Amino acid sequence: MSNLATSARVVRALGARSIRQTFRRPQLISPIVVFPTLLLAIQTGGAGAGIELPGFPPVESFLQFMLAGAMMQSMMLAGNSGGIAFAVDIEMGFTDRLFAAPIPRFAIVLGRLAGTAALGLFAALWFLAIGLIFGAHVEGGVPGALLATALITASALAVGGIGAAIALRTGSASVVQGLFPLVLVVLFLSSAFFPQELMIEPAKTIAEYNPFSFIVEGVRGPIVAGIDATQTLEAVAAIAGIVLLGLVLSARALRHRLRVG
Amino acid sequence: MEAALPAWRTNLATIAALIARAKNELVRVPGAAIPGVLAPTIFFLGLNGVFGALTGLSGFDTGSYESFIVPVSMLQGAGFTGAAAGVNLARDYEGGWVDRLLVSPAPRWVLLAGNVLAASARSLVPATFVLAIGFLIGVQWPGVDGLLVCYLMVAATAAVAACWGSMLALRFKSQAAAPLMQAGMMALVLLTPAYAPLELLQPWLETVARINPLTQVVEAARQGFVGGVTWADTWPGLLALAGLLAALGALALREMRRTNV
Amino acid sequence: MPAIVVEGLERAFGEVLAVQGIDLAVDEGEIYAFLGPNGAGKTTTVRMLTTLLLPTGGRASVAGFDVVDNAREVRSSIGVALQEAALDPLMTGRELIRLQATLQGLPTAAGRERADALLERVGLTDAADRRVGTYSGGMKRRLDLAAALVHEPSVLFLDEPTTGLDPVSRKTIWEEVRALNDDGTTVFLTTQYLEEADQLADNVGIIDRGRIVAEGTPESLKGEIGNPHVELLIAEGAVPEAERVCRELGKLLPPKDGKRVLLEVANGAADIPRVVRALDEAGVVVESLELVRPTLDDVFVAKTGHHLEREEEERKDAEETAPA
Repeated sequence: MSNLATSARVVRALGARSIRQTFRRPQLISPIVVFPTLLLAIQTGGAGAGIELPGFPPVESFLQFMLAGAMMQSMMLAGNSGGIAFAVDIEMGFTDRLFAAPIPRFAIVLGRLAGTAALGLFAALWFLAIGLIFGAHVEGGVPGALLATALITASALAVGGIGAAIALRTGSASVVQGLFPLVLVVLFLSSAFFPQELMIEPAKTIAEYNPFSFIVEGVRGPIVAGIDATQTLEAVAAIAGIVLLGLVLSARALRHRLRVG
Repeated sequence: MEAALPAWRTNLATIAALIARAKNELVRVPGAAIPGVLAPTIFFLGLNGVFGALTGLSGFDTGSYESFIVPVSMLQGAGFTGAAAGVNLARDYEGGWVDRLLVSPAPRWVLLAGNVLAASARSLVPATFVLAIGFLIGVQWPGVDGLLVCYLMVAATAAVAACWGSMLALRFKSQAAAPLMQAGMMALVLLTPAYAPLELLQPWLETVARINPLTQVVEAARQGFVGGVTWADTWPGLLALAGLLAALGALALREMRRTNV
Repeated sequence: MPAIVVEGLERAFGEVLAVQGIDLAVDEGEIYAFLGPNGAGKTTTVRMLTTLLLPTGGRASVAGFDVVDNAREVRSSIGVALQEAALDPLMTGRELIRLQATLQGLPTAAGRERADALLERVGLTDAADRRVGTYSGGMKRRLDLAAALVHEPSVLFLDEPTTGLDPVSRKTIWEEVRALNDDGTTVFLTTQYLEEADQLADNVGIIDRGRIVAEGTPESLKGEIGNPHVELLIAEGAVPEAERVCRELGKLLPPKDGKRVLLEVANGAADIPRVVRALDEAGVVVESLELVRPTLDDVFVAKTGHHLEREEEERKDAEETAPA
């Protein structure tokens, strides 16, 4: 069998394992589903009157506006969970077994990332479903929904890459777990939860340049308005940048791990 | 055998010893206090940066969103800390430590009280940290009475959260129940006029908040920060906490008795 | 007066009957060992006797108190060292014993004194102010044992007190248990180790799949199995001749391999000279000779149809390879 086919099978098997692992552990799945959903409800209910503020972009409802933010949160926590699970594998020596097997090393990392991407896809669909059930429309129609889903899935892959790199580098689940608050910081300092122009300084300025703001806007655009080429390209560029960073960090961490054993 | 002490003295000594043990978690684990402090601080600063413009809506008693939100973040910190006491109890269950307590002749309520009061005391750490940050960024001085009422609410909320967490820990005997402990408290504290006054909440949340006893607690803790302290705004909070404490305490005790004899 | 009386005790978890109606009595001042593999119902029984688990049938009393109706009195009378030494790694040994003293209702000053004396007794005085997390496995068990003794209990429960310990640490624990017993403490211990039961116990109950399958002193249990035998390693080529000679002396047991002859001897060591003389007279060279007495494992095999320790190892292997 060709090497490529072998790698693909490894990626698929490891990806499937990581998804099963996530759904079997309440500690892993609840940050991805329960917390973002709860926060979505609380923030929509609590700050929903904010759409009355002068300068708030035209939206059908605050829920419609918030869907992209909830997807982002869920996707980023999926990346974090994937990193934690990967670090646990390293701590328990499971990855050693994989490293010792005659399979390409990148396939091992990619397998984990495939699982994280699938969870990102799940997150996007979950919040689209919640939006539709509670009366939010996707203005961009089916193509818009597909675009938002694709962007979130790709972002999950990108963020997962950084989580995996840190797991590989530190080999410690508690370090990766410690990044959890960082996810919230990055989100609060982006336009995930409120229009950037209406935020308070210094968060406002930081959000203007935060790459995650570009991703959020790229996901939100098709939901609240419609597909916009520039917005989409900016989001794709931001994702590509994070993917690149994740790749470089992963490759270096992998080399480091194999060197120090 | 030595002469027996009066029961109340033995009980008091046991509670004090259990609190002293819980203190170790904070003092002897480097960095242990950080997550408990970090989460409410991030929420405080993040919510303020994101939703600060909401005070522009009519219906707010104050133009300072940081003053409006700081007691909520303090209560959220109390919720986190209290629920963490449940997580620790579950961990102690898994490790067998709880058996050591249960097999002793100490009355069951004494064992529960030790855990709950320790959580109460611990909750003052994140609350004070958040408040200090708050004062730095311009939170109004709530007055001594306002401060005292707020701290009382914080300590009692942590006790409620610890009863809730302990009940789940004793029922599920596994740290897998941790997300339920945390999410439950988060919902209880935030499904209130946490982000905006009652009349500005979305109708569904307004309905929930009017039923949620924590609404009275949030209002009581907040009064000094947004105006003056009155008995009329204080007693409903006290009553709500006393009721929750009695109910959840009784349920936790029932789980403890159900577990053994 | 018996220290522990158990009548028809049962415990079901859902459909599964973990303990299926056991009866036993332990006299005051006795060491009683509950011997059985993992999952046999040992720990479940101990948890019921120590008030940590409600029975679903039958009754039991410890130190004269019913474990259900007088749980509090039972708790005051017993000391318990549970499996996997439930210790807080963040506390120091001294703090832990003092906390235990408080839990048992001792006044502070008395608790401190008692803690110091116990730490001395189990040889942890030097380590007393170190955190438990830094202790070795043997030290942890000794600390756990000391904690169980803080209120001078009349009945001591030890759930697998030496599982996972090295032989030296195991011996230390055994010596401590014997010393406590000499002071009059009744000891109820569970173990997977035949040697432990053999060494320590006055009486042994063998439990398998929730039922007691045999009970008695180690000697009487071994006696039930039958006589000891001699195992003779015979010089090459002489085995048929050796077998012919031995057959006249007693019953031959099925051979292990082609070099050995196994002969049952009713009188144990006293029969050896007779066997050696007969073989010598027939010109058979005996390379080595060993008297083999029945072990509790033989009892276990006879009563349950399977080995105790081998099964244990297999189970462990299975657990280790099971996916997380």
